[in-house]
Amino acid sequence: MATNQDMDIHPVTEDTGEGIKSQEMLLNMGPQHPSTHGVLRLVLTLEGETVTDCTPVIGYLHRGIEKILENRPIMGGIRYMDNADYLSPMLNEIAYAGAVEQLMGMEPPRRAQYIRLLVGEMQRIASHLVAVGTYLLDLGAFTPVLWTFRDREGILTLFEALAGSRFNVNYQRVGGVLHDFPKGWMKECELFLDRVEKNMAELETLVTGNEIFAARTQGVGYIDPQQAIAYGLTGPMLRASGVNLDLRVNRPYMAYREVAVNPQVRQEGDCFARYKVRMQEIYESIRLSRVALDKMPGGPIGTRSPIALRPPRGETYFAIEGSKGELGIYFISDGSEYPWRAKIRGPSFVNLQILPEMLRGHKMSDVVAITGSLDLVLGEVDR
Amino acid sequence: MLNVILADDSFLWWTQLWNGILSWQFLQFLIAFIVIFLFIMTSAVIVILLERKVMAWMQDRVGPIHTGPWGLLQTTADVVKLLLKEDIRGQQHDQLVFLLAPSVFMAPVIAAFAVLPFSPYLGLPGSALATGIIYLVAVSSIDVIGVIMAGWGSNNKYSLIGGLRAAAQMISYELPLVLALVGVVMLTSVLAGMPGYPGIANSGVGTISIREIMDFQNVWHKTGIGILDFLFQGFTPWSWFFLFQPLMLLIYYTCGLAETNRAPFDLPEAESELVAGYVTEYSGLRWALFYLGEYGNMTIVSAIASYLFLGGFSGPGVGYLIGLNSPGWGLLGNILALGYFVTKIYLLCIVFIWVRTTLPRLRSDQLMQFAWLILIPVTLGNIIVTAMVYLIVNGLGAPTWVFLVIVAAINWAAVFGFVQLVSRVTVSSTRKAQAPAIRAQRRAAATPALPLRDAVPQLVQPQSATASSGKE
Repeated sequence: MATNQDMDIHPVTEDTGEGIKSQEMLLNMGPQHPSTHGVLRLVLTLEGETVTDCTPVIGYLHRGIEKILENRPIMGGIRYMDNADYLSPMLNEIAYAGAVEQLMGMEPPRRAQYIRLLVGEMQRIASHLVAVGTYLLDLGAFTPVLWTFRDREGILTLFEALAGSRFNVNYQRVGGVLHDFPKGWMKECELFLDRVEKNMAELETLVTGNEIFAARTQGVGYIDPQQAIAYGLTGPMLRASGVNLDLRVNRPYMAYREVAVNPQVRQEGDCFARYKVRMQEIYESIRLSRVALDKMPGGPIGTRSPIALRPPRGETYFAIEGSKGELGIYFISDGSEYPWRAKIRGPSFVNLQILPEMLRGHKMSDVVAITGSLDLVLGEVDR
Repeated sequence: MLNVILADDSFLWWTQLWNGILSWQFLQFLIAFIVIFLFIMTSAVIVILLERKVMAWMQDRVGPIHTGPWGLLQTTADVVKLLLKEDIRGQQHDQLVFLLAPSVFMAPVIAAFAVLPFSPYLGLPGSALATGIIYLVAVSSIDVIGVIMAGWGSNNKYSLIGGLRAAAQMISYELPLVLALVGVVMLTSVLAGMPGYPGIANSGVGTISIREIMDFQNVWHKTGIGILDFLFQGFTPWSWFFLFQPLMLLIYYTCGLAETNRAPFDLPEAESELVAGYVTEYSGLRWALFYLGEYGNMTIVSAIASYLFLGGFSGPGVGYLIGLNSPGWGLLGNILALGYFVTKIYLLCIVFIWVRTTLPRLRSDQLMQFAWLILIPVTLGNIIVTAMVYLIVNGLGAPTWVFLVIVAAINWAAVFGFVQLVSRVTVSSTRKAQAPAIRAQRRAAATPALPLRDAVPQLVQPQSATASSGKE
């Protein structure tokens, strides 16, 4: 990850002796570009249409979330976690609340844990829907993005009924959740899950068997398992390369200790595998949501905890399986009601590192195909 | 010296120019130009509205609804906005090339419209052109110059890449496009002079005039039964050329998609890759000209497809009403013909839109591969097969309908074969692309074992005084 100044403006080309060499062209892709998923800037060195080098430049969406967290009471900081990965705010909040709970040695009530599992899985569906839809938009298919956003809208509506806000939900609390379900919410949720399952089948018939889509994604952007582990990839990126690591299974937390998860793994390691893993995870999340709805226990939805929460001095690392990978919070407390430090281990940021490695040698058109398959959220990369 | 020449010839020169301007032909030209331009304008406005509405219905949206009834005036409002927009020009542009490019792009579209007959009598002077197809193909390939000029003049890297992609693509797809039309021309040369068909029997002289090709798709003999004559005079769908050459219609249409830079061949203006390709730097009226040209091209491609394969402006009632030889009925017949023609064009445009909603975009190398390795051999093969079948059938002395049936059977079989071929080729090429990845994976058979913790982790007990002592 280099900045502007580190960039080699005139990279040396080695003559491979094949074909006519043209003059190299430096193309600045982003930060204002339709398909860089926000404000990612890629400095591409092109030779004809072939990418010889790529330098991602980040920081255009830096809002200082980690610093803000240090200056807010812990309960007040939860709201700022929504903005880190703005496509999966619920999961961010769960990670932050979970870190504080772990530091305090506290366990939320069983009902709260199941509510977290339910909303977390629904948030994962929403995030993957956006990932799949925008990925296909990058590849030039216009319809899927509208279909997936239509389905995501249902999740946002359910969240609005639950938390009062569609997007920046501010729903999790240390030791539980804020509200119990409104009347009829669970019934609505079941109906929604049926609907989204039907719509996903429709999307699969439109996209998955399409020859152009296969030709654009299969064999493009290959990551082998060793490389994936060496770069610290997590989430669908890692599982698409054949490494079976899912924190919900390997390091279960909260209700996942009782609910079994089938991790979705593909062996190909290319863009198609990553797309496929996300699609399968949507189905898996639908199943998990149904399980959570069926097994939803009674009881309180939270423990009473003071607004000015003072965790003991100490430090902890708590990670959950976010929609994009391992979403971890490294939390240091000095015993006051403010965190001394809250470091977010954003999966998008870590997954971005492998991008130059993957882009080298591919065509200009593959740049968007590969960048899209990373499922970057620049809000989380820059924080 | 110069003065002398001017003095000698000035009278003649001025008179000629003046006579030219005042002449009937020049008036015709002016009217033609204005009518075509208005037609392209309205047609583009309608097609864009159609596109937005149809795409919206396919994508579970409602589309434009606020401007006018059912949003019908939305594109009109857009045009007004574009006309009133500030004309932005960058300092570093190659000004002359940049300013000329939209006109160079737009001019061939207007010129191509000049030879399109809209109805039996309603057509511009050029619609009787004997070399209609060649003229159309030649004129529509000039577009690419405008695109390259736009790409170069913009002094923008995205524009440059877009312009060059467009050049490669349009030139490559020009070939199968023309070759796909040859099949139809060959059919006309075989059919010439057959009972019910125009031309001289056994001369082997076909036609490349659009009007005459349309006549070749009309084989109705007057029966004297009023209702049948009314329906089928000039309208015989069983003799339309798409029945004999369906694969060529498919290929022609595919190449038409590429020629007009429509999805899935919209690489030159791929939004997610090149922002807007060669139109990135354009705004206002110049931008509108590019889009007018593009939608005009769509209309032309659809029009040629309907002339050559789908009977042109023929439809129930047209031939009968015009055959009555009375001005009133003739006018009605012409209006009907215009209606049928425009309906066919817009139905074909809806197919353009349908394809756009369905398919993702190809990559540039795959695009070239598709043109050179699949389309051109298939179209060349069609020409050879058609010729061979004719020679064999003719040599055996069999009647021409045997030839037609065999050609049609081969072509319909080839349509299904073609779909299979395309699918197989893409699958095998993607498998080839995947091969190194899969091999590497096999080599790395020992997937590294990860620390698997099945037990529930212990809660981290809060430590005392490990962290530094607070912040100031």
